[in-house]
Amino acid sequence: MLKIDNLHAEIDGKEILKGLNLEVNAGEVHAIMGPNGAGKSTLGYVLGGRPGYEVTGGSVMFHPARHAGLVPASASPQAEALADKQTPAQGRGDDHGWVDLLELEPHERAALGLFLGFQYPVEIPGISNVQFLREALNSQRKARGEALLSGGEFLKLARAQADGLGMDQEMLKRPVNVGFSGGEKKRNEMVQMGIIAPRFAILDETDSGLDIDALKAVGEGINRIMRAPDKAVLLITHYERLLEIVAPDFVHVLAGGRIVRSGGIELARQLEAEGYAQVAA
Amino acid sequence: MVELLELPSRREEAWRWSRLDALPELARARHGQAGNAAQHFIGLGGPRLVFVDGVLDEDASELGRVSIGALELATDHPLGRQATGAGWALTLDRDQATDGIEIVHVASGGANHLPARITLAEDAVASVVETYVGEGWANRLTQIELARSARLMRSVRMLQGSGFVSIRDEATVGEGASLVSVFLGAGGMDCRIDDAITCNGAAAYAELGGALLTDGNQRQECAVSLRHDAVNGQSRQIWRAVAKDVSTASLAARVEVARGAQKTDGEQSLRGLLLDRTATINLKPELEIFADDVKCAHGATVGELDARALFYLASRGIAPARARGLLTRAFVADAIDRIGDEATRDAFSVDADAWLEKTL
Ligand SMILES: Nc1ncnc2c1ncn2[C@@H]1O[C@H](COP(=O)(O)OP(=O)(O)O)[C@@H](O)[C@H]1O
Ligand SMILES: [Mg+2]
Repeated sequence: MLKIDNLHAEIDGKEILKGLNLEVNAGEVHAIMGPNGAGKSTLGYVLGGRPGYEVTGGSVMFHPARHAGLVPASASPQAEALADKQTPAQGRGDDHGWVDLLELEPHERAALGLFLGFQYPVEIPGISNVQFLREALNSQRKARGEALLSGGEFLKLARAQADGLGMDQEMLKRPVNVGFSGGEKKRNEMVQMGIIAPRFAILDETDSGLDIDALKAVGEGINRIMRAPDKAVLLITHYERLLEIVAPDFVHVLAGGRIVRSGGIELARQLEAEGYAQVAA
Repeated sequence: MVELLELPSRREEAWRWSRLDALPELARARHGQAGNAAQHFIGLGGPRLVFVDGVLDEDASELGRVSIGALELATDHPLGRQATGAGWALTLDRDQATDGIEIVHVASGGANHLPARITLAEDAVASVVETYVGEGWANRLTQIELARSARLMRSVRMLQGSGFVSIRDEATVGEGASLVSVFLGAGGMDCRIDDAITCNGAAAYAELGGALLTDGNQRQECAVSLRHDAVNGQSRQIWRAVAKDVSTASLAARVEVARGAQKTDGEQSLRGLLLDRTATINLKPELEIFADDVKCAHGATVGELDARALFYLASRGIAPARARGLLTRAFVADAIDRIGDEATRDAFSVDADAWLEKTL
């Protein structure tokens, strides 16, 4: 579903990602752990297309799995990946299985099914959560040629997702993230993910700043929304606790701008016990 | 009168951001063919007036409690004093109320001048929505007097395609009375809003604000002052300016608290949003306080759209132009949301949206 090959990226002329390789298949959850400043958020931003994060080498190919209407059912991802790498997708993903993610604008990546959960969700005064999310969902649906949701339909969906994550209904009416506590902002990211129902989610430290109950709600939310054969998750985290709930299929250590080790959940437990210095050395 | 057109000089402090050079020519030019006014009525169920080049279109108007006639309004305002002769007046007696009054000013080129007077007796209530469309120079002088506990809601939108709209309001707000004035500049013309409000009764309430949206080579400004002369007064000024291309939007707003006006609570917020770095926004907040026991807060800032917010919206699938529109709209919403009547507020929002759609 996602194939990152020898990715190099810099901010303000400073190289942060230095040849990162990673492959994620549909149905998988990958955790990325690593010390502060390793480049984890940078990876998320580069995949999301944030301005100022310049890719200087490598490629990122994205295949939005069995997304209705997007992908020919018969195509084998691997075969197409190879075929498409010689001839980068031209149709912005509408008619190709594999697309060159780096060619797309951030909003086009979102319409293809990519979701970025922010480490520091942004406050937007003057725009209510409901207004923002309906606009977001309908923008994506429009880009995919799907029917738009009416106000009533949307509200029903939003209420159900807020309930699912234990977020007060009143917070849907409040301006996006304004005056929310750190934990409320993270819950709100998950409510957004539930409403948008992406194919591929990159969740950047969604577990930081959460108390035990909130951590449980968020972990279970990730499982409910994203654990499916046609979806995948890149879970960036510092702590092993969330991983005990979400149970990733793979755990990677990102240090110095590269993946330096990969393994299963036991790697996360080892990191928790021994620290990065030991494991990543 | 044309020969007598004397305009203030930009050397005068109060006019230093103005651009009045087009006015002498407009004052000499002839009127043309007026456009349709009816489409600009919101449908508030009250009196409807259409002025074409400053003259009442009787067939298109239902006056209700509004009267037409010669008005003798004294003023020394350099533009306001040009508005002489026949005008409209609303006079409500004690406890009287009207449904929302709508006035559409259609200009067809050249210049037109119109005086107006609104006089509300004790406990009277009125709301007036004014809309400026067409082209040319529309110049207005409106004098407002609110007696004890009277309430007036005034909403003014300037939607002319080109030309100039100059508005001079002079108001007194009596004891416990309330005046709320909201302006929207969302057309292609230049404009100058020149308000002088005096709260001369105890516990008077005044709100004055709006949004000026400029692009191209436009220039819009407000130069307003709000004076508290009595105790326990409250005032709010919320002004927003959005400027694109090489346009200029200027907000000069002043609060004066006289020596005896203790316990005045005044708040002023002037904010500008530059959509291009080639545009100009001037802010001039002024506080002049001669009483010691008052609460006056003010803030003035100019900025650009928040890049982090733009990326956040984009990451959720919202295209860049739409994201800029949403953030800009949120920026001006504070000012427009002061309009109490929902239908009027919606109509003003639609006009602001139309400007954003066209401009972003
Ligand atoms: N806007 C920026 N300008 C310059 N350097 C940055 C910027 N943002 C992050 N960095 C640097 O990039 C490196 C990686 O940061 P980040 O991706 O946030 O790490 P992590 O999320 O793994 O803690 C750090 O050394 C950080 O100081
Ligand atoms: Mg980080």
